[in-house]
Amino acid sequence: MEIAVLVKPVPDAETRLRPDAKGLALDPEGVKWVLAGYDESAVEQALLLKEAAPGTTVRAISYGPVARAEEVLRSALALGCDAATSLEAPPEAPTDAVSVARALALALTKHPASLVLCGKQAGDDEGGIVGPAVAELLGLPDLGVATNVRWDGGPGGLTMERSVEGGLEQGRTALPALVALQQAWNDPRTAKLPNILKSRKAPIERIPAAEVAAAMAPSAATAPRRLGFRLPPPRTGAKMIEYKTPEEAAEKLVRILREEAKVFP
Amino acid sequence: MTGVLVLLERHAGAIAAASCEAVGVARSIANGGPVVGLLVGPGGAAGATGLGVDRVLLAESPNLDHPSGAQLAVLLAAAADAASSTTIVVPGTARGRDLVGRVAVRWNASAATNVTEVATSGSGALRVTRPVFGGRATEELELPGPRQVLALKPHAFSPPATSPAPTPVEPLALPEGLAKAPALDVRGFQPTVGGKGPELGDASIVVSGGRGVGTPEKFQVVEDLAEAFGAAVGASRAVTDAGWRPASYQVGQTGKAVSPQLYIAVGISGAIQHIVGMVSSRVIVAINSDPQAPIFRVADYGIAGDLFAIVPALTQAVRAARSH
Ligand SMILES: Cc1cc2nc3c(=O)[nH]c(=O)nc-3n(C[C@H](O)[C@H](O)[C@H](O)COP(=O)(O)OP(=O)(O)OC[C@H]3O[C@@H](n4cnc5c(N)ncnc54)[C@H](O)[C@@H]3O)c2cc1C
Ligand SMILES: Nc1ncnc2c1ncn2[C@@H]1O[C@H](COP(=O)(O)O)[C@@H](O)[C@H]1O
Repeated sequence: MEIAVLVKPVPDAETRLRPDAKGLALDPEGVKWVLAGYDESAVEQALLLKEAAPGTTVRAISYGPVARAEEVLRSALALGCDAATSLEAPPEAPTDAVSVARALALALTKHPASLVLCGKQAGDDEGGIVGPAVAELLGLPDLGVATNVRWDGGPGGLTMERSVEGGLEQGRTALPALVALQQAWNDPRTAKLPNILKSRKAPIERIPAAEVAAAMAPSAATAPRRLGFRLPPPRTGAKMIEYKTPEEAAEKLVRILREEAKVFP
Repeated sequence: MTGVLVLLERHAGAIAAASCEAVGVARSIANGGPVVGLLVGPGGAAGATGLGVDRVLLAESPNLDHPSGAQLAVLLAAAADAASSTTIVVPGTARGRDLVGRVAVRWNASAATNVTEVATSGSGALRVTRPVFGGRATEELELPGPRQVLALKPHAFSPPATSPAPTPVEPLALPEGLAKAPALDVRGFQPTVGGKGPELGDASIVVSGGRGVGTPEKFQVVEDLAEAFGAAVGASRAVTDAGWRPASYQVGQTGKAVSPQLYIAVGISGAIQHIVGMVSSRVIVAINSDPQAPIFRVADYGIAGDLFAIVPALTQAVRAARSH
């Protein structure tokens, strides 16, 4: 089986957020770009399936400015992916989800996969749009956000659980299909040092910007335009409730929640 | 004049609260144009009355019991065209959000999810605001016309007042593309473990407990408070890692991100990985014996004290308040 994993470079969770000079996006100055959290789950899922089904190969695919995309592709290789494709962002790199999905679909057309894995949403824009858009572009069923994926070896044998309001739904689909992975239910592995070193020299296929731009072009007219990127006013710290007895603290809090915060009928 | 189409999602026979919120938003951006609801699957038009939509399109077919994202996207695009809608609003549920990317591609629309504010601007464009980076920042986007698809952040909007007026229901002619859209073979459903209360990601009040609770047995004080509030129960990773409660309770970077109206953190220190999962809640209350605990820096209201004294008293006070 051929598996493709879509991995997005996102700012490290510790990044101090600052708007750029125009106030339109995150200031990229000094940002460390890492594999998005849910994408780690997707890579882990791919590797688990590979271990269960010998002969499976896993290709990681990333779109973005070359240095960022290749950084996260090397992380994916160090974890155990077999191959990597970087889609070089054109100048003025579009970042809207559907354009990005078109770029990723280009790579998937060159390297057809029976199973495409992606993250539920990326830790930066938290859109959750790219995966389903890729599925629609390629005519694949998408299983939505899954928490557990098993393959029983045949072409009709993908079983998964997905989280919906009120519980877990179990379903099956034929391959090819796309699945978005949620949280670290599968406890992603960490890369071993020798593999990290090896990944530094591993070849990464690069699809040039001109070709990527052509694939993205049909979405230019629908791409959202950024008007602002803002930080919320800093939280000033809790208003501490003074009290002599627990009962007094409780009554004061209930009154505040009702009358001041109005979150309690 | 622009029409707006809303996907009416039903859970256990009732229209999901998130869909009612979507109807309110649809009305606010329709500029007097029609607001049309789409109902899919078995169950007829049950629940459609009183929602505040002008009419309902009903897509019924035996193989739409568990419609796939691909099938719903086909139906939404067809319904929007049939109703001359230029905007589709889907509820901010797990299923709703999964549709946005598909509809954007199929219907050639501009798209945004997790929307917390929306307004019309000139020439058919929409301006939306949405949290990014786990609520640590917000972005404002302009979605160009003529077609947009939006998913709302749950609880960000209030549902409109219900009206008893009967809502006309018309069948939607099933579009040709439906047969070609990949279906889903759903084999079973398992309600969330331990979930007597509302679903964590869905609840308007969440009460979470941390390591400060001490033992799996004593975690019950957190659950009692949640029950008094009619809230969902969450936990820090310290609690789920220790196996005191299942992983499905975990709030944070590697758990669920929640943004209820009210989040109460009990015996949780406030590590950054926990904070990113709850900081976009509207009101945050922290109860912790350590007045220096970092959780108090992101909370709106704090009680410094022993949770085993404070929480039972609070449970009592909430029960008393709710019975009046
Ligand atoms: C990669 C990574 C991902 C992570 N993801 C998550 C995540 O998704 N979610 C998450 O929650 N954590 C996550 N963590 C763990 C996180 O860093 C913290 O370790 C964890 O949140 C701590 O949980 P806690 O606040 O319950 O426990 P502690 O930090 O031990 O805090 C316990 C608190 O209880 C208070 N307390 C003790 N006794 C009482 C009492 N009787 N009354 C009142 N208060 C009392 C103490 O003062 C203390 O503040 C992650 C960590 C890493 C490295
Ligand atoms: N630039 C990208 N390169 C590769 N994969 C991406 C990219 N952007 C998004 N994805 C994939 O799509 C998922 C959802 O992303 P998003 O729609 O941005 O929340 C991510 O978790 C990735 O798996």
